[in-house]
Amino acid sequence: MKINKMYWLLLPGLLFLTVFMLIPIILTIGSTFVQEGKPTLEGYLYFFKDAYFNRILLTTLRVSVFTTVICIALGYPVAYYISRLGTRKKGILLALSIFPLLTSPVVRSFSWMIILGRKGLVNNALVATGIVDKPIEILYTPTAMIIGLVHLFLPLIIITLVGVMENVDSELIRAAESLGASRFTALRKVLFPLTIPGLIIGSVLVFVGSLTAYTTPALLGGKERVISTFLYQNAMTLNDWYLASVIATIMIVITLVVVGLMNKVATKLNPKG
Amino acid sequence: MTLLSLEQVSVAYDNHLILENFDLKLEEGKLLSLLGPSGCGKTTTLRLIAGFLEAKGGKFMFDGRDYTHLPVNKRNFGFVFQSYALFPHLSVYDNVAFGLRLRKMKEGQVKEKVLRMLDIVSLNGFEKRFPQELSGGQRQRVAIARALVIEPDLLLFDEPLSNLDANLRVTMRVEIRRLQQELGMTAVYVSHDQEECFSISDQVAIMNAGKIEQLGAPTDIYQYPKTEYVARFIGFNNFLVFDGTRQGNTGLEWTIGDYGFDVQLQAGQSTANTYKGAIRPEDLRIIPLGQLTDLQKSLSNQVPGTVKVSTYLGRSYQFEVQTALGAFTVNQEMDIPIAPGQQVMITFPADKIVMVAQ
Ligand SMILES: Nc1ncnc2c1ncn2[C@@H]1O[C@H](COP(=O)(O)OP(=O)(O)OP(=O)(O)O)[C@@H](O)[C@H]1O
Ligand SMILES: [Mg+2]
Repeated sequence: MKINKMYWLLLPGLLFLTVFMLIPIILTIGSTFVQEGKPTLEGYLYFFKDAYFNRILLTTLRVSVFTTVICIALGYPVAYYISRLGTRKKGILLALSIFPLLTSPVVRSFSWMIILGRKGLVNNALVATGIVDKPIEILYTPTAMIIGLVHLFLPLIIITLVGVMENVDSELIRAAESLGASRFTALRKVLFPLTIPGLIIGSVLVFVGSLTAYTTPALLGGKERVISTFLYQNAMTLNDWYLASVIATIMIVITLVVVGLMNKVATKLNPKG
Repeated sequence: MTLLSLEQVSVAYDNHLILENFDLKLEEGKLLSLLGPSGCGKTTTLRLIAGFLEAKGGKFMFDGRDYTHLPVNKRNFGFVFQSYALFPHLSVYDNVAFGLRLRKMKEGQVKEKVLRMLDIVSLNGFEKRFPQELSGGQRQRVAIARALVIEPDLLLFDEPLSNLDANLRVTMRVEIRRLQQELGMTAVYVSHDQEECFSISDQVAIMNAGKIEQLGAPTDIYQYPKTEYVARFIGFNNFLVFDGTRQGNTGLEWTIGDYGFDVQLQAGQSTANTYKGAIRPEDLRIIPLGQLTDLQKSLSNQVPGTVKVSTYLGRSYQFEVQTALGAFTVNQEMDIPIAPGQQVMITFPADKIVMVAQ
């Protein structure tokens, strides 16, 4: 009885989500299958036959995958280092590492434009040291998007991994070492499997985040489009809300598929306990 | 043959010295316990031997080789952790096989060794379970199996039984001792629990603030503590603080004011040293003063006093007795307790007084 009454507390939140999120999403998705009162798949057929859109889709997936992989590769050692520190140092380093999240995406992207531009820091250094003889194209390429997105999402994966690693008893690493494992082997055979759940959560966050990010790819990508910027273009510039809805639905489906796949992987690899 | 020796070893955490010029020797095939109060450096000593900690100074010799700077994974020591530290993502079988596989052993041989070891610790049939599907005692045995199966040159135990209930603790310690003796292993064992240490060890080292106060066979330490600290630690709660000697009726007597005490010195102790006389509560005797004759009252090794507190302990009563020489604790079995306020005579049997360095 008591517990049943508690459920009423969920009502305001549920109502809010239903009215402002669930219903609009369903309406958006639904609208893509109907045109002029008749059921149709025209929007989707149009997209998947269109080479331009296919390229955008591919760029988006490539950027998201690279961002995720690079974030893991860079974030994992940092997270391990932070997780082994004392409380005070850990607090300071964690605060520092989430700093990029606290700056506006616009400011962050403009800084990268200055750094990566034709006359930017990177190109100046490369030309000055003679590694290349004329400035290379970094800004307004998928590479620039990846750099910007890694900068944005690295903190996310670090925080997630630090949380998981803190829960791995350091005695386990010592136990592995006492059984004859080098430090690296101990980390590979004990720490790594135990942090897989965190890796999956972190990867989903980064992947979905990269997939849906707008400001960073819009500013650093130049004419290069990803799905989100393409969607914006269709809705705002071309005022084609039907196509925008189709794109939105495709994004939702990709997100769900990725989350579902990762979940599958997670349950399969999930260490007991 | 001396297998292990720590020579003048120092260990510090953040420039705070925990062990200073620490010495320890252990013979092959023996089990040594480190016993001492919380924070005295038992775990530190064990971790130093294991290689988890680096010595600041000194030398660690093992089997004639210098191990001081040898990395943990090259030492081939088995470590049994207080928290067991079983790998939660691996089954019992894989936990035990972990060390063998690192040694690039063939899977067939691994299987043979793991199964034999699980048989030794009576865990046959548990291969497929995961650590969190086991009871505390079973986890404990997996931890021991995992450390033993690599045929370590030395076994290290850090309070391995402290998470178990009293009954299981007794069973498991017998088990550990049996395994250690059967396999002829050399082991260092850390515990808080005196009974545990005394019952399974060949040697006990009583530690105090980063130093070994006394090292010896359990019976030696139990009967003849050498210092007041050790005596207190193993239950000698009463101390006589002597101020001199005199010739008594039966020979040399130690005195406190007018009271004379006949005592037995241990080998190596001289009359010149200043000692305290230590005696356990259960070795003291009390008799109501009224039941004694005047002649009996005049004998040495006796002090009159007043019972202040009487506590029922189940098998016996414990009395706090206030005397001219301070308060004494006496444990005595009796049917009708002596009531607080009564005058009593405490007797200190000469053969039960142990002379300890102050
Ligand atoms: N990681 C550490 N950093 C700083 N000081 C430590 C650390 N570990 C232990 N110490 C200190 O070193 C001293 C000895 O610790 P140790 O763990 O060896 O004690 P112990 O005898 O095993 O005690 P217990 O019986 O409680 O386990 C203690 O004063 C402790 O506070
Ligand atoms: Mg300890």
